[in-house]
Amino acid sequence: MTPPDATTAPLPRPLPPIQPEAPGPAPPRPALLPSMVKYARIFRVALIERMTYRSDFLLGTILRFLPIVTTILLWRAIYEGSGQTELGGFNYREMIAYLLLTNISRMFSSMPGLAGGVAREVREGTLKRYLIQPLDLIGYLLSSRVAHKVAYITMSFVPYAVLFYLCRGYFDGFPDPLTLLAYAVSLILAFMVGFYFEVSVGMVGFWFLEVTSLLYIVMTLNFFISGHMLPLDLLPQPWAGILKVLPFQYMAYFPAVVFQGKIRGTELLLHLGLELFWAVAFLVLARTLYRAGLRRYSAYGG
Amino acid sequence: MVPGVTRYARLMGGLARFTLAREMAFRGNFLVKVSVELLWMGILIAFYRTVFAKTSHIANWSEPDYFFFVGCFFALNGLIETLFLENCNEFAELVRTGDLDFLLLKPIDEQFLISCRRIDWGTAPNLVMGAILMIIALVQKGWVFDPTRVAAFFATFACGVAIAYSFMMMLTSVSVWMVRNTSLMEMWWLFSSLARYPREIFSGRWAEPLGNVFTFIIPILLVSNVPANVMVRVLDPGMVAWTVTVALASLWVSRRFFHVALRSYRSASS
Amino acid sequence: MPIIEVEDLTKTYRVFQKRDGLMGALRGLYRREYKEVKAVDRIGFSIEPGEMVAFLGPNGAGKTTTLKMLSGLVYPTSGDARVLGYTPWRREDAFRRQFALVMGQKNQLWWDLPAGDSFQLHREIYSIPKEEFDRTLGELVELLGVQKLTRQAVRELSLGERMKMELIAALLHGPKLLLLDEPTIGLDVVAQAAIQKCLRDYHESRGVTMLLTSHYMRDVEALCDRVIVITQGRLVYDGPLAGIIERFGESKLVRLQFEEPAPEGLERFGEVVRREGPFADVRIERARVAETLGALLNQHALADVSVEDPPLEEVIAKVFEEARLAHDAA
Repeated sequence: MTPPDATTAPLPRPLPPIQPEAPGPAPPRPALLPSMVKYARIFRVALIERMTYRSDFLLGTILRFLPIVTTILLWRAIYEGSGQTELGGFNYREMIAYLLLTNISRMFSSMPGLAGGVAREVREGTLKRYLIQPLDLIGYLLSSRVAHKVAYITMSFVPYAVLFYLCRGYFDGFPDPLTLLAYAVSLILAFMVGFYFEVSVGMVGFWFLEVTSLLYIVMTLNFFISGHMLPLDLLPQPWAGILKVLPFQYMAYFPAVVFQGKIRGTELLLHLGLELFWAVAFLVLARTLYRAGLRRYSAYGG
Repeated sequence: MVPGVTRYARLMGGLARFTLAREMAFRGNFLVKVSVELLWMGILIAFYRTVFAKTSHIANWSEPDYFFFVGCFFALNGLIETLFLENCNEFAELVRTGDLDFLLLKPIDEQFLISCRRIDWGTAPNLVMGAILMIIALVQKGWVFDPTRVAAFFATFACGVAIAYSFMMMLTSVSVWMVRNTSLMEMWWLFSSLARYPREIFSGRWAEPLGNVFTFIIPILLVSNVPANVMVRVLDPGMVAWTVTVALASLWVSRRFFHVALRSYRSASS
Repeated sequence: MPIIEVEDLTKTYRVFQKRDGLMGALRGLYRREYKEVKAVDRIGFSIEPGEMVAFLGPNGAGKTTTLKMLSGLVYPTSGDARVLGYTPWRREDAFRRQFALVMGQKNQLWWDLPAGDSFQLHREIYSIPKEEFDRTLGELVELLGVQKLTRQAVRELSLGERMKMELIAALLHGPKLLLLDEPTIGLDVVAQAAIQKCLRDYHESRGVTMLLTSHYMRDVEALCDRVIVITQGRLVYDGPLAGIIERFGESKLVRLQFEEPAPEGLERFGEVVRREGPFADVRIERARVAETLGALLNQHALADVSVEDPPLEEVIAKVFEEARLAHDAA
């Protein structure tokens, strides 16, 4: 069975139509502030909605811990079996710490249901409402996804704090403030890379009726090549080298090793720059695909 | 009884035919789906080959034994996904939209209709892929044919499917009370991660009791461990008997649970 | 023996009260407030085999809930119902084989498959013998004029065509009772008429009993002799369609055509709805129609006169309004 990131969880429910912020004649161009207010409002509604589903969240959280437990146990068995202290430059403690940290990376970069949701909207013709309401699809998706993430991260804070506290033995204390700052930046950029990457994939739905399967390919591959399953350094060359050039490492591997202090100095700055580059590149791609897709859009159903 | 069975078998046949027709209408996607599963199997093999390049054993499972286990889980889970996962995954949506109503009106067993409505042909080849991996592992191991082990394997494999199905039905039923479910696919992936590794990795101070919990109380560990064990490691009759008992009990419990959930849906829907 | 018998049927829902705003949602995580809502309040009626009954009421009056209780989808809070001799919420297979529920806003056919394939599955589910299935399907397809569409994927059909397919799916197993919830919602006039005709023909040939809710009075007038009105979960009228106009339509519309331009001062007879050239429409209290006509004929030269009942929509709206006022007052 393939990993679940490509799941088809529904998009946030359609929002009630948004009232214009101010009555009276509309300005010739939407001013920046009102449009910010509009997206801030979407953000709020989505956040409230997310918080309402508590039992779902509770069960989800409990279940999310299971793979962590089995992963720790598996790697312990692997290190015990090998009789070595270091595999691919990671000792057992670092390995577990790395794998825990990739969960944090994925918390920022994974977008469950996003691409599938976009593809389904295209397929079922519900996309129309973005064309009718004064609302930009990608802007709407971004605000509701940020809300989703903020709610998720806020609510996950306690369980993750407990988890990291229980697993504190695998860490060598906190990194220095500068590293922490770089880590925070790498996570935010990981979100952007993940978001625009998935939106781009979802836009393929304009051309490809049932896009879910394509999603599976991408997400399945991503699971491995982002370094979520094991540190890329463990792989034999040239694979490790190749995967470190691709954008996918920024969704799991890179933030984790930044936290662990395995990348420092100019190399760190270089990679942060590259991460930003990929975020912008996917942004441009998503916008271009959306524009092109709308042009050949024919609504299904009615 | 017999006409009932033939009726359900015919219905299953009809459903299989129509879902295949639908799948073939999107042939390209079907092929993509199969290649995804192939890809995932490749990733799993790459992962464990990488690991076994550094060690000869994981929790006392040798490389061929371990790959047999991986193949066994792959096949078993493939079967579950083919028959049930997509149906169960849709259940939350049926509840949310109220379209479940139509299924409940049909003069047929609700659990059957809800959990077997569609066959997801895209994952059916997993059964074959898993079988091939198991056979390769057996050859590499130099396994000697033993009819008792084969019989025990098939019996416990079937029990494993039954137990996994029961757990999936329970996770599915829960979505009646939870307005929006974490997608069942995700829940299933997370939950079944328990069955994805040999039971022996549960060793040590806190892990061993946990392993016992998942063997005797929430017996998900039986699903792939017992069939793999009886085939390539120890054939423990006690464990086989326990697995059969658990399979029957879990089918019964999950059916009851599902009916309680349905009852609650029907008194809440409008 | 009645085909539907309902007695004191009541359904109360517990509705989760969402608090406003972000803090509200946060608090809602820990404690929830509920409110009891009576969707259906002690209603009772009975329907004989072969009747066609319209079930009317404003949005949220409890029509759909009642239909769902009658089809066994929802448990009542109290009260009793017998449908086709069964208690619906026990949902025995024998019961479920004998009726069908059609909902205008829902879709039960497989979206990606031709409707014909869904029909085949239907045949398996309801164990319909092959010959009977082929015959019924042939009849229905012809009746609705959709011969060419059964091999087309449902997602490619128009709403009207899809609704016809839904109706066929519902009728294939020859139900004795047909429950219809807004069967013509969103359809154009032509498709509406086709659905109505199909229902009427089917009723004539099979004598099926029908209970339907609709917001289109056209459906009601075309199909039903009897009307049951509920508002706020209460039954407020049960009787013939004509009776409802008699009882609630207190005025008639008198349409006059004068020899000369319509005179001033018609207001003394009643509310003047229209006055244009020689034409005038006046709404006059039912009891005073004869007397008023006499007076008019004495004073003016009339070219033509007609007396009409007010449109059904208007009467029904009035029934709803009165019931609401009575309810609010109580």
